[in-house]
Amino acid sequence: MTTLEVRDLVKDFRIRAGLRSSRLRAVDHVSFTLHPGRTVALVGESGSGKSTIARMISRLERPTGGEIVATGPDGRRVGDRAYRDHVQMVFQDPFASLNPFHSIEHHIARPLQLHHKSKGRVDTRRQVEELLERVNLTPPEDFAPRRPHELSGGQRQRVAIARALAPGAQVVIADEPVSMLDVSIRLGVLNLLARLQREDDLAVLYITHDLATARHFSDDILVLYRGRVVERGPADEVILNPQHSYTRLLASAAPNPEKRGRSLAELPGAIDEQDLARSYDHTTGSWVSFENARPIAVAAANPAGGDRTQV
Amino acid sequence: MTQTSPLAETPDAATAKPVRRRGGFRAMLPTWSARLGVGLLLVIGIALFGVLGPMLVGDPDAISSIGMTEPSGDYLLGTTQTGQDVLAQLAHSTRGSLQIGLLVGVLATVLSAFFGIIGAYTGGFLDEAFSLFSNVMLVIPGLPLVIVIAGFVPAEDRGLSTIILVLAITGWAASARVLHAQTLSLRNRDYVAAARVAGEKRWRIVTVEILPNLLPLLASQFVFAIIAAIISEASLSFLGLGANGQHTLGTMLYYAQNGWALQLEAWWWFVPPGLLIALFGCGLSLINFSIDEIINPKLRVDARTAKAKAGGVAKEARAAATAVSPAPDQPDRELVLTVEGLNVVYQTEKPVHAVKDVSITLARGEILGLAGESGCGKTTLAYAINRLHRPPAEVSSGTVTFHDRGGPDIDLLNLGDEELRAFRWSKLSMVFQGAMNSLNPVISIHEQLDDVLTTHKPDMGKAERRARCAEVLRLVGVDPRRLDSFPHELSGGMRQRVMIAMAMLLDPQVMIMDEPTTALDVVVQRGILREIIRLRDELGFAVVFITHDLPLLLELSDRIAVMKAGEIVEYAPSGQIYERPSHPYTRQLLASFPSLTGERGAFVRAGGTAANDVNEGAAR
Repeated sequence: MTTLEVRDLVKDFRIRAGLRSSRLRAVDHVSFTLHPGRTVALVGESGSGKSTIARMISRLERPTGGEIVATGPDGRRVGDRAYRDHVQMVFQDPFASLNPFHSIEHHIARPLQLHHKSKGRVDTRRQVEELLERVNLTPPEDFAPRRPHELSGGQRQRVAIARALAPGAQVVIADEPVSMLDVSIRLGVLNLLARLQREDDLAVLYITHDLATARHFSDDILVLYRGRVVERGPADEVILNPQHSYTRLLASAAPNPEKRGRSLAELPGAIDEQDLARSYDHTTGSWVSFENARPIAVAAANPAGGDRTQV
Repeated sequence: MTQTSPLAETPDAATAKPVRRRGGFRAMLPTWSARLGVGLLLVIGIALFGVLGPMLVGDPDAISSIGMTEPSGDYLLGTTQTGQDVLAQLAHSTRGSLQIGLLVGVLATVLSAFFGIIGAYTGGFLDEAFSLFSNVMLVIPGLPLVIVIAGFVPAEDRGLSTIILVLAITGWAASARVLHAQTLSLRNRDYVAAARVAGEKRWRIVTVEILPNLLPLLASQFVFAIIAAIISEASLSFLGLGANGQHTLGTMLYYAQNGWALQLEAWWWFVPPGLLIALFGCGLSLINFSIDEIINPKLRVDARTAKAKAGGVAKEARAAATAVSPAPDQPDRELVLTVEGLNVVYQTEKPVHAVKDVSITLARGEILGLAGESGCGKTTLAYAINRLHRPPAEVSSGTVTFHDRGGPDIDLLNLGDEELRAFRWSKLSMVFQGAMNSLNPVISIHEQLDDVLTTHKPDMGKAERRARCAEVLRLVGVDPRRLDSFPHELSGGMRQRVMIAMAMLLDPQVMIMDEPTTALDVVVQRGILREIIRLRDELGFAVVFITHDLPLLLELSDRIAVMKAGEIVEYAPSGQIYERPSHPYTRQLLASFPSLTGERGAFVRAGGTAANDVNEGAAR
């Protein structure tokens, strides 16, 4: 059982505008731990740095600072070579994450061969079919030779999940795994992920901008704004009893038919000034001021957009 | 909500077998067309002549006593000045030219693939160096360089291999640029990232994941390189810088030129080689067209689309349509738009009935929500109402009536082009899906807004127009000082507001909004929804709001029409939809959105075994 610990993760991007170049801090001292059998949700809007964190954990980007440590079942740190046996990723867009040229079988067989999970062609074939069956793509022998364009979005995402599980990964990073899918099949894919998690005791990082699924799908929630964690704690606590003004803003902005008739005319608020440099931790029940991370810029304190002064 | 399993297979999905289309290597083959046929015929014919011809004809160098004879029984294409058989020369020359073309094509393609693909995939310093190198090769004028290199080598050493090498070195740069650009785009695809996460080695990512997707492009570059090589070689040889002692079409022309063929009107000497070069280039170009169609499917000319354009709207059918209005009409509603029995069909190979017998009404100041998933026909319906649908889409029957404020009713589907143009935007405007990206990036916001006013209200003064533009911006919560900004200077939410402002410029009575906030963050979305509600209250226009986000509609709209597979399956006030949904599909949609503050509903996270599998919905 693998545990993944993220410590003080920092990522800077260099932005070139003409001859000048400036640095943008996309992720600012983020720390959390993924435990087997538990799901952590990273919640935030576009530009909050959540996908950058996913890409760093998947080793598609190199962190500017901090470290990502996977600890194997034997209690020892997982080395660089074996890292990808333990940590795998499910991408957001199933229409882009499968190679249009290759068959479904290729997508699942390759990780099996790369990570030496199968011996010989017959064994690979058998394992591919097993994995397809596990993600409910039955009959597997019908799906294996197909190509991605012959599958619907939901079916493609199942293939992507099977591919992530093929190397025997214990930590799965799911970067907005359902946001590109039709609404009526989203829960199906999430329920599938949840079952696989129970069966294999997976540690899951669920990245999303949808508070409702984050609450129901995960154990803990981290709310991210401009690369900083502004609130963290058990899922129900964070959503039902939000403390940070940004989390409250997010929760109030989500469509909620139960509050039908609520006046839509109310202004989405802004972030309290005192909240710009602190975060709330529900496990300790206290405010923590940003230790290493810089305060959020005042200019970014009004996520609703629009020019308020004129209205 | 609990009695129907919300994520069980829908009958639709179960019966609809995915269409088997061409994939993998089969997708790389061009589709058959007359163009491709003629191209292949020319190329294969000339190639056969080049391969087999030399075995059938005599010695091209044999000199006979009869020079400059016209084509006859003995010499099918006549003889040259020195009495050599032109046909024999032509056969050997074709072989020579083909040989050069093929070898140069292979070499140039390998070079361009190496510099283009490797550079783009590796990135960093190597990419910069490779790019610089290919750019330098690109700006050096090709033919002069070839002449210099070829001229530098003494004539006696100038064999076939020298010429091939020279042509390959000068001919690869342009296609390297093309491959570089395409590889750059491919290497950022998610499937390449996925292969990296899976642990694939670099060379395997390039050869197995990226290269196959570049094959059509490589093929077209290869064909192009062959044409260029044959023509360049002909030019070189014509100038007397060709391969020493070799027969090519170019050397033939060179000797014809030197032998005064033109002045002596010996057409049989210079026309055949010239014609062969032209025909071979032509054939290869035709093949290239077909390969281009694989790379860019938009180039495909669809015969059926052209036919549908001529067809137009079937008016008789529309008159016969039966109008059913399932809407729970209250007598006090003052209607602004009535759609009755609308049918829209895509006239493709298998006609797709995208909108089936839809009847809706819209009252003044009402917000009507149109909910449905991708492909349910909601956008087609919106386009048809505004007559923006294009062939192959066709309104097969039904009526759309606009009840003008203080004017006669307007039958939208029977408006002439000119009337339609005046009607659109001024009485009924539209905010398109992804509209914020449809602002022109090089024109200021003011000019884009102003454009609408100058088109529709030509008698308005300049100052008046500017005042109106500022006013609508203020209405949607954008500082009028931003009028002179360019779209890239505004955030996504601001751009979306500008699009809504543009739709409001002419004070329309109805606004159709197609997923206006889908690409935006929820906090920004809320800000924009607030403006829409406020404006509706202040200005009293009616809104048709299209989205897949049912919870949003429940909060926002007065009535909701739920669409599935082209049909409106439920049409009721939104309170009723939420509390007493009557159609199973509505219930299924409602259950697809877990409540933020309420119970988990169909969400299964812990426990349970067999029952859960149903909820994982494998069918779609």
